[in-house]
Amino acid sequence: MRRWLGSSWLTVRCQIALGAIFVVAALPKLLDPPGFAKAIHAYKLFPAWGIHPVALFLPWLELIAGVLLLLGLWVRTATIWITALLVAFIVALSINLARHQPVDCGCFSTQEKVKTEAERMNDMRWTILRDLGMLLLAGQVLLAARKKP
Amino acid sequence: MRLPVSIPVQAAALLAAAGLCAVIGNAFAGPRRHLVWTASPAVAPTVLLLKSEPIPDRPQSAPAVKIAPTATPLPKPLTPKPTPLEPVKAERPSQPVREITSAEAWEAFQKGAAFLDARRSADFEAGHIQGAFGLPVWESTLDQRLVEFEAKANQPPEAPLVLYCSGGSCEDSHLLASRLFQMGYRNLLIYRDGFPDWQAQGRPVVLK
Repeated sequence: MRRWLGSSWLTVRCQIALGAIFVVAALPKLLDPPGFAKAIHAYKLFPAWGIHPVALFLPWLELIAGVLLLLGLWVRTATIWITALLVAFIVALSINLARHQPVDCGCFSTQEKVKTEAERMNDMRWTILRDLGMLLLAGQVLLAARKKP
Repeated sequence: MRLPVSIPVQAAALLAAAGLCAVIGNAFAGPRRHLVWTASPAVAPTVLLLKSEPIPDRPQSAPAVKIAPTATPLPKPLTPKPTPLEPVKAERPSQPVREITSAEAWEAFQKGAAFLDARRSADFEAGHIQGAFGLPVWESTLDQRLVEFEAKANQPPEAPLVLYCSGGSCEDSHLLASRLFQMGYRNLLIYRDGFPDWQAQGRPVVLK
């Protein structure tokens, strides 16, 4: 089991899955930075002056890290960034969940969704679980990359 | 392919690449996709406060109530009266920014108040309140649109302006109110339920 978890067969699949997810997540944000800025604003975690720079910068970081993973280049570095992003997303969602402030995740779409507060809160919980799952994938990739010479 | 570069250098290079792409991407973005790096959504504490707590009346409009020591019985506690909508050439309202109900929004519409749509321009084009002016608060065209609005509408600062977005948790109309407040407008009525409610009530809309 332990050997299988560290196998290159699994690592490649985790790498491709993570890379593809981050590329897919980055595209709508790149196509609609104002929509993403609005989503970030809803989290109420950034100072007003920081919202636009984050909305412009973050999708590119996601895209480049995702593409590097898909191409198998700088895998460890790209995975470290992806891990950092996932941790940041989980923290951001958890803070708003604790505040009972429902937000649209803004993960794969910048469109405003018509949902009730309860639905949004439920979505946030599922998104945290999904991000934790992706953290496991990233952990596997990092572990395998560490073993490589 | 393995490049002989340490992880911190790679990490910094990745950050730099993302930053460069962001700068270039934003420079070539169209007006609806462009963001001004240094700009921030106008979030005036005054307006955000008004979301839950109406600003108390100014001293000149609401003189302090003195309770006479001999008075029996005690006067009833003052309850905030809803401020009636005023015609375009109105006196300075007691509350510069306040939320209004669907019925008040309809009343304002019938009285000819200007309606301002704070949603994204694509949403505005898909459908908006009849006669509304689109001021997409998240788009970089906002400043230009505000200038156009001022030139076109030529509204005095005390004229009622009804601001709306997509209802629910949407805060765009509050952000727009904050911006207009900074510009000197002092009768900003936020139609909280916004366009979905207006449409549901069967009121006049312009659809694509």
